[in-house]
Amino acid sequence: MGKMERFPFVVLVAGLGFFLFADFVSWALPMFVLKDIPMKKVSDLAAEAKAKNTSAWADFERIAAYYPEQFKKYYGEVNEESFAKALKIGHHWYVAEGCWNCHSQMIRPVSNETLRFGIPGVSNTVSYPSEYQNELQAPVLWGTKRIGPDLIREAAVHNIDWQVAHLYNPQSTSPGSNMPGYPWYFEKDSKGNLVPNERGIGMLTYIMWLGSWEVKPTKEWALK
Amino acid sequence: MATNVATAGGEVQVTNLVNYTLVKLHIGMGLLFFIIIGFMGFFYSLQLDGIYPFPGIEFLSPGRVRMIHTAGAAYGFLVNMFTGLLYWAVPRFTGYKVFDEKYLGGFMFIGLQAAVLISVVAILFFGQADNVEWGETPWWIDPVIVAWLLLHAVQFGTPILKASQKAPLYVSGWYISAMLVWTPLVVFMGNFIPRFWSAGSGAGAVQSTFIHDLVGLYVTPVAWGLMYYFVPVIMKKPMWSHGLSLLGFWGLAFFYPMNGVHHFLWSPIPMFAQYSAVFATVAIEFAVTSVLINFMMTLRGSAEVLKYNVPLRYMYTGAIFYWITCFQCAFHVTLTFQKVIHFTDWVTGHAHLIMFGTFGMWVLGMAEYVWPRLFGKETMYSKGMSEGAYWLLTIGVIAMFVDLTAAGLVEGFDWIGLNPWIDSVNFAKPFWYFRSVAGIMMLTGLLMYAMNFYKTATAGKGLEAQLRESA
Repeated sequence: MGKMERFPFVVLVAGLGFFLFADFVSWALPMFVLKDIPMKKVSDLAAEAKAKNTSAWADFERIAAYYPEQFKKYYGEVNEESFAKALKIGHHWYVAEGCWNCHSQMIRPVSNETLRFGIPGVSNTVSYPSEYQNELQAPVLWGTKRIGPDLIREAAVHNIDWQVAHLYNPQSTSPGSNMPGYPWYFEKDSKGNLVPNERGIGMLTYIMWLGSWEVKPTKEWALK
Repeated sequence: MATNVATAGGEVQVTNLVNYTLVKLHIGMGLLFFIIIGFMGFFYSLQLDGIYPFPGIEFLSPGRVRMIHTAGAAYGFLVNMFTGLLYWAVPRFTGYKVFDEKYLGGFMFIGLQAAVLISVVAILFFGQADNVEWGETPWWIDPVIVAWLLLHAVQFGTPILKASQKAPLYVSGWYISAMLVWTPLVVFMGNFIPRFWSAGSGAGAVQSTFIHDLVGLYVTPVAWGLMYYFVPVIMKKPMWSHGLSLLGFWGLAFFYPMNGVHHFLWSPIPMFAQYSAVFATVAIEFAVTSVLINFMMTLRGSAEVLKYNVPLRYMYTGAIFYWITCFQCAFHVTLTFQKVIHFTDWVTGHAHLIMFGTFGMWVLGMAEYVWPRLFGKETMYSKGMSEGAYWLLTIGVIAMFVDLTAAGLVEGFDWIGLNPWIDSVNFAKPFWYFRSVAGIMMLTGLLMYAMNFYKTATAGKGLEAQLRESA
């Protein structure tokens, strides 16, 4: 027993040995199992959105049409680069604002969650590994607490207009909600209208991107 | 001051074994951060009640404030408190000074406060946060924290290593030496692997391991290490069973690191990892129970000490809360319970019972034992404030735990029932109001406790212990 109670034994066996064994089981092995799922960068996500003409891409065009002055000022044209930039900015502030403290991004296969959060009539799938295998889910945004609803299928639940009003003043669209408003994502344009600023456009693009890959068939947006 | 200290290697004479200034500084800052993060949590709870006092102010947005509440609890409050108490306990049970008090100790103190303050400013004002729960500190500050933890390992590892060369280590020594190795590994793993080497489900597996390991491999071992030091010292008798101490430590060391994935059950993480986490979590309950039996049997025959010794009462209250939390965990970690309670306030209640009810109570008890001694006094300034703070904190945390557990069940079943989302918010609101009231109780207790500390430190001479009249 004497050896067991010495510094080197404790440090090597408990400190390193058990720790490494546990990490092997808990995350190295799962990562190995998942290694064949391709890892997507933000530019890949943008290219995919454009190529498949997903609802996120249509919504991005719609934002550009709604707020041409701010869009031109901060993002320029509607293309893959500006979409990737908006996604990055939106994701950055989604994290920085602590949105993930109250909104999860994971649909479990239990507790009727596919019925509640799935896309009615379109996709009732649970969350699956490949939809998280991208740069915007590193670290992953599953969250551990829900005050508000899950957002991983948000693309098909609400439209841009709803999102804009909700972001500025949540009680205007959801009476009784205890979500705080985010007026600092808005600014005045040259006509004096309150419109989303750079961060606001990014946030809207990001939120409307969540789950857009599950919206099938791709919506036809007549926007000209 | 020179004292003779009996160590396993024989009696040695030591001079100024403990550096009082470092203990005072760390405990003082830890208490200050405890109050700050308490207010942060309270403000966030007011947002849930719909009466947030600072609406529309960007840097006081509730989401950001909540990140200060959690990250501040880890790095501002617990690390400061534990480091202060380690400066007191480690030299005493090893018989050797820490590596370097003046330069390394001073540097570590300033470095820790700087890292915490930079994180607070970065999260509140610059939108630099990280979506790793308990690792909300911006990713570029995390190397600083890892470096700090390595210095911390040198600082406290040195006396333990020296003592270990002479004789087998005391129980506290096992817990603390393992913790010194685990913590930098855990912080490195949790903050860098999910950001730079993986994504998605793999990152989720690492993050959940981190959430759990920062509790299980930093907070828990250092807290148990200190408990194994302070409880026998206060009661002036040894632990009841050395065998149970061994069982508790090795059980914790083997099973605790595997628990993490239980934070993401029913997630896209491969099921074998989820099953192993559930299994290990149920197993850890047995290790915890063995530790608790050991402490309760140590108390046997001296339970009346709890009546007048507030620090010891804090420790045993925390120990009972610890067992309740772990017992609860062994059930709600199962996939069946998770269907209902995952994502609900049940989990919040569980987290508060362990972090505030157990570790918060323990460090408060230990600090209250150490504090008068640091200032050459025999007792705290006010027995009444001491008792008042204890009861406010205890009743407050029990109220919050029961309330949030009930709220979690209401929310969970409401969600399964597919009612409109807003129903679950409306149903939870009365519970949230009550939680804020419990928060006020806890904050009042904390302020009372801090006031007592301040008065004890600044009081003139004369805080002398009264002998109780023998019955």
